[in-house]
Amino acid sequence: MNKNNSPLLELKNIHKKFGKVIAIKNVNLKLYSGEKLCIIGPSGSGKSTLLRTINFLETIDQGQIFFQGKEVGYVYKKGKRILDKAKNISTLRAEIGMVFQHFHLFPHMTVLENVMEGPRTVQKKSKDEAKQIALDMLSKVGLLNKKDVYPVCLSGGQKQRVAIARALAMKPKLMLFDEPTSALDPELVGEVFEAIKKLAEEGMTMIIVTHQMGFAKEMADRVIFMENGEIIAQAQSKEFFSSSNMPKRIQSFLNKILE
Amino acid sequence: MILGLLFFLFIFLIPIAGECLSLYQQGEQALAMGNLAKAKHIFYKIPPFVNKQKNPDFLKARLLLARLYYNQKKYNLAQKECLTILKYFPNHKETKSLLHEIQNLNQPVIIQFFKDTYKYLPALLKGTLMTLILVLFTMLVSPFGGLLIALGRISRFYPLSSLCWCIIWLFRGTPLLLQLFFIYYGLPALGITLKPLTAAFLGLGLNYSAYLAEIIRAGIQSIDAGQMEAALALGMTYSQAMRRIIIPQTYKRIIPPIANEFIALIKDTALVSTIAMVELMRSADQLFNTYFDVKILILAGLIYLILTSIFTLIFEKVERKVGAYEQK
Ligand SMILES: Nc1ncnc2c1ncn2[C@@H]1O[C@H](COP(=O)(O)OP(=O)(O)O)[C@@H](O)[C@H]1O
Ligand SMILES: [Mg+2]
Repeated sequence: MNKNNSPLLELKNIHKKFGKVIAIKNVNLKLYSGEKLCIIGPSGSGKSTLLRTINFLETIDQGQIFFQGKEVGYVYKKGKRILDKAKNISTLRAEIGMVFQHFHLFPHMTVLENVMEGPRTVQKKSKDEAKQIALDMLSKVGLLNKKDVYPVCLSGGQKQRVAIARALAMKPKLMLFDEPTSALDPELVGEVFEAIKKLAEEGMTMIIVTHQMGFAKEMADRVIFMENGEIIAQAQSKEFFSSSNMPKRIQSFLNKILE
Repeated sequence: MILGLLFFLFIFLIPIAGECLSLYQQGEQALAMGNLAKAKHIFYKIPPFVNKQKNPDFLKARLLLARLYYNQKKYNLAQKECLTILKYFPNHKETKSLLHEIQNLNQPVIIQFFKDTYKYLPALLKGTLMTLILVLFTMLVSPFGGLLIALGRISRFYPLSSLCWCIIWLFRGTPLLLQLFFIYYGLPALGITLKPLTAAFLGLGLNYSAYLAEIIRAGIQSIDAGQMEAALALGMTYSQAMRRIIIPQTYKRIIPPIANEFIALIKDTALVSTIAMVELMRSADQLFNTYFDVKILILAGLIYLILTSIFTLIFEKVERKVGAYEQK
């Protein structure tokens, strides 16, 4: 990783409240192209919210987000910060793929149509071109044989692989995974991890929220531990999992998870 | 004193008034008092020609007599009157059909039933056509009207959502009959005069849009929020997400209740007969006021049943089709 370049994504001093609940507090983060970042932490610590602020599924109360060196999401008029035009935010989202815990495949479309939907509707690609992209992505996640079935016919693992293909079809510069395997039966976790790993090996930049420490250890260049909306520890993966002077809080969390 | 004068005037005026009445009107008066013999006596004084012109009062009087005889089952007398009329008015349709009816009396009931049906059907079918026009128009327009109101209703732009709330509140909270009256009879007071058909389209369209709006809104809000998020995360705009992802998923849920509303609509179109629209109900009403034949009402009922059955079948087919992706 060439850290002299400007980061692909930079979060500066992000704050987010839901009513009185503080979901994100003073988060700073830099992510370089090709980097794989894992976010871990107890439930309710703000991991999902942080991920969702990056593509503005949540607005932020304070702070700045830079993507490819440019501030995104907000514009300034007469010193006042206002939310950017919906169109610009959509354009940003089109460059960031997101994979949800509960897949959210479109149930009224076949697998192929699900994957074609982004290129077709958002990027206005021709039907043939979109179909070619979709077929490529489906073969990448090993589901070409399921292209004509509806999502209801798929297992959880297959659904999540289709969701990954759907996000990839947009040729995103950054992929966000929010607990991609948490809703899966244990025996289906592996196939989804394989798909993500393959992606990582191709050099995709990604942020993964996960409770699977083995996966984090294997995949991540860097690990962030969040609690109560704050990043309370961050380190290169190797150091993180081996460090003897790891804070007690993290250690007890990891122990609980690894049980 | 004044009373006396009035009494005097009254006594004096009655014979004058009597003399002002035509023979036909005098006969009608006699009928109204139940004196058929006197009525007949007066009616027979009406000449078939006045100044060498055919006299319509002659026709009216004799036809009335014929009908009366017919209702009293004095068929010979009725037939005689009909023949007399036809002597002077050989092409008069109503008389001909009455005569026809009398002559057909000896035929089996079933054949008579079919003949009557055949007689009433053209007018009823013409009414049915208008009913169908009203139904199809409302079925085409109200889903779009309903969608617009529903989208306005869930909009975060407060003035728009409250406006749409008001529209729904108003049109669902008052009788359709009142709305039709207001549009047709009430708006002219505000300087807006509409043709009956326009008023009917407007009333039915708005009323049904308001009903469908609530169904569509409930449908949209029943879709898992994750669907909208996934669509937005792909880079879709709100309207693309609605059009491509959310609304298509509501079809399966909203078509059964919408079908219900549309069946009610077929029957609700009868209400526009009150604002001078001649549709199936009004046609039946008009026929019934001429022939006083209960078969007319039965026929109209059968036509409504056929219409509702056909539409029920169609909706069931559509329902099965749009839900197909949920079956493994
Ligand atoms: N839409 C929301 N409305 C209100 N509170 C929310 C919302 N989303 C998240 N929160 C709150 O924000 C905090 C962080 O939630 P989340 O980011 O989902 O945590 P995690 O993903 O780490 O489990 C929690 O206290 C949660 O209850
Ligand atoms: Mg979460």
